[in-house]
Amino acid sequence: MDIGEVTGEWDYRSLPANVRMGRDCWLERKFSFDRFRSERQPGLAFGDRVRAYTWTTFNVEPTGRVDVGDDTVLVGAVFMCREHISIGNRVVISYNVTIADSDFHPLDPEDRIRDAIANSPRGDRTRRPRIESRPVRVEDDVWIGIGAMVLKGVTVGAGARIGPGAVVTADVPAGASVLGNPAHLVEQRD
Amino acid sequence: MSIRADLGHDWFARPLPANVELGEGSWLYSSYAFLHYQSRRPVGLRVGHDTGLYNGTFFELGVDGEVRIGSYCTLVGVIVVTNGRVEIGDYAFLAHEVVIADHAIAQPPRSEWPRGEVGASATSIHLGENVWVGARATILGGTVVGNHAVIGAGAVVQGSYPERCVLAGNPAQLVRRF
Repeated sequence: MDIGEVTGEWDYRSLPANVRMGRDCWLERKFSFDRFRSERQPGLAFGDRVRAYTWTTFNVEPTGRVDVGDDTVLVGAVFMCREHISIGNRVVISYNVTIADSDFHPLDPEDRIRDAIANSPRGDRTRRPRIESRPVRVEDDVWIGIGAMVLKGVTVGAGARIGPGAVVTADVPAGASVLGNPAHLVEQRD
Repeated sequence: MSIRADLGHDWFARPLPANVELGEGSWLYSSYAFLHYQSRRPVGLRVGHDTGLYNGTFFELGVDGEVRIGSYCTLVGVIVVTNGRVEIGDYAFLAHEVVIADHAIAQPPRSEWPRGEVGASATSIHLGENVWVGARATILGGTVVGNHAVIGAGAVVQGSYPERCVLAGNPAQLVRRF
């Protein structure tokens, strides 16, 4: 293989037409976009000087859109997007982090059986039950620690710190530090 | 005896860094493990004999980073991020998606860190012999874990712990001694 495809030295013009990129972005691994299926315009928008390392993955459904602000560093950010995930400026997302704006499957047991049948190899995907999504918003200067998860509907306020391994299911106030599963507040800076 | 055999099975067209030593009978999946490796120490990574470094393992060492891994160890896709020193004893078993890092907001080592405060700070981490680390555990700077300890899946460990204990949870607690 051409190792440029995993060292950021590939032709970014091969990205889908609905990926908008600012100046001086560096996207290490071409395959980060293998599961990018957005049909929105744009479906993915990078600010300036965004860096996305090898583990970062944009799993975006046709209805989804991801926005990433200026000077943000995505180390191992796995985006699971059905509607909208927005990441602010100067955000740092460390290794093995998942950010999802949907559970991608229904909770109701009968609906899950219908979903299993519709998703089977010979199934009809148009018969999937309605699936909830709620946008995720990560504001400026947030740091997300190793292995954390940020789930649907969450807003992480500016300057907040998400501890390693935290599972964030509720809003995090600006300047707060959260930790644990489910994440709880451990410090609030003004 | 240490050898530096080139990896006949490697798909990633880069040589191993000159300051990497793999012992006899040890196996490394690819030089891709050194994608971000910056260590300029005399020996940045030394691996004992008969150790397996499997797919998805990465050595994210800063210029001052040093890693020592014993013999008969198994690392199944472990990411080590350090600008200090990380030591892993013989017979250690580390499962999928384990991260060993100087700090919680670790990033790959590059000469231009975006901001000093999240940059690498030198720490050291020591895992004793025959330590077993479950999938997705995170082990942070300054941690010392004694021989034969078991770290549960998803645990977030920072601190000093004795030999023959079980650590689990986030933050990890000592839940049992044996």
